[in-house]
Amino acid sequence: MTAAKQWSSEAIDVALEAQGIALAPKRAERLAAGQQSLLDASAADPLRPALEFDADPPGFMLALVRCKARSPSK
Amino acid sequence: MNDPAALSLAQAAQAVHAGKIAPHELLQACRKRIEQWQPRINAFVSLEEHPPHQKEGPLAGVPLAHKDMFYRAGKVSNCGSKILRGFVVRETSAALERLDSAGAIQLGTLNMSEFAYGPTGHNEHWGDCRNPWNPDHITGGSSSGSGAAVAARLVYGALGSDTGGSVRLPAAACGVSGLKTTWGRVSRHGAMPLSHSLDTIGPLARSAEDCALLLAAIAGHDPRDPVSSREPVEDYIEAIKRPTRGLRVALSSAWIERETEPEVAAAVLAATRAFQFRIEVEPPDFDTLSAQCLVVMQSEASAQHARWMRERPGDYSSAVRVRLEAGYAIPATTYLEVLRLRAAWLERFCSTTLADADLYLVPAISARIPTREQTGPRGGPDMPNLLASLTRLTRWVNYLGVPGLVIPCGFDSRGMPIGLQLVGRPFAEATLLAAGHAFQRETDWHQRVPA
Repeated sequence: MTAAKQWSSEAIDVALEAQGIALAPKRAERLAAGQQSLLDASAADPLRPALEFDADPPGFMLALVRCKARSPSK
Repeated sequence: MNDPAALSLAQAAQAVHAGKIAPHELLQACRKRIEQWQPRINAFVSLEEHPPHQKEGPLAGVPLAHKDMFYRAGKVSNCGSKILRGFVVRETSAALERLDSAGAIQLGTLNMSEFAYGPTGHNEHWGDCRNPWNPDHITGGSSSGSGAAVAARLVYGALGSDTGGSVRLPAAACGVSGLKTTWGRVSRHGAMPLSHSLDTIGPLARSAEDCALLLAAIAGHDPRDPVSSREPVEDYIEAIKRPTRGLRVALSSAWIERETEPEVAAAVLAATRAFQFRIEVEPPDFDTLSAQCLVVMQSEASAQHARWMRERPGDYSSAVRVRLEAGYAIPATTYLEVLRLRAAWLERFCSTTLADADLYLVPAISARIPTREQTGPRGGPDMPNLLASLTRLTRWVNYLGVPGLVIPCGFDSRGMPIGLQLVGRPFAEATLLAAGHAFQRETDWHQRVPA
């Protein structure tokens, strides 16, 4: 699974301008390539298709406790 | 007693406790080392002594110094930046309060990457921190001064922060021990934030035993940090004395041989022989986990810096500005989906990689330590790959929120340190420290000092 090809340099310029972030000339081009490959890598996450509907970010704190160390082997 | 600067933190604390040495002798030894080394390595940003609030305690009279992002009321925290140069803070950080209560002396503040957002130790505002083993090479970052100062024996230990490897990279590059703690184990109150879902605080010191002493002082719940854990704190000092003969260590030897530079692979695989029970496992999906860590880190860091990025972008170094710009091009839905996936990844790591093991062993850095020039503003076309190789084996640990201990395990043919990394389940700091301590009882890599 890959992310939609949303990051052209024009799209980056518009998105950042909308957030009040000014880019140096030609920077958007490099940023578009880099961020598209990061978003592709993220979207290719093999656990993504099975992500539970009710999984939420704070659930991670409970997972930390659930997975905590058992006593090390003696 | 010979040079007191040669003592470990544990030995120094014990010597003070037993009345065999006075705190001022430790201070004098550290000051002498600082005078010698500071012009060569630029580890300190400020030298200002903060005597302890009390003279008793497990760290009584032991000189430490910390990354310049741990706030002390009424004092300056520059956070490695131009933007916060001269920033006087109002509150003392929880970690410093706890070290004060343990009797430690703070000798000053240490160099760091700008806003803790860089893996090499370059800093155009405060000068690069330089590696004591060879000043042409990077210290690793972002806790660059912490790694360099401990390696050069300028202080007995230091605090760092770790969001994507910032404690473990300088520990590996400078040949010291460094512990990335479980997310929530140490309060981040009063420490400069970078990425709230990933930020952790941990010690860098001369040995795993020294890290245990520092962690014992700073770990524990703090209501002022909203993600501070209420999990009970183990007795780390007792824990490192546990027998570790039965400890089961998972590793992926074939992956290490295939994916890391030969000298790194050789040193790390040789080190694994110190652990009796080794289990070969499939490696975690480092690259996916690393990408997910980067999505979280970029999104949160860019949100944290949004006002300054709008109002004074020219006051950032170009390297940090470029990293921050990237975060504004991550959709909110992607960021939140990556956070929703985090628990599933943690459960997978614990139920597969660690199914039959107590910890997972992997190199800290897959390549030999590069030079400052190779990774700096004038770095060649290989620079992006070099930078990626630095954090490839550290970021995944932050995404999982688990603890990771880096200890030295050898030197490459150029005399630069090589570090191995032990990664455990959440809150398994005691197991990691016990394993590290056992390794260091059998080896002397951690006792080597740069000339």
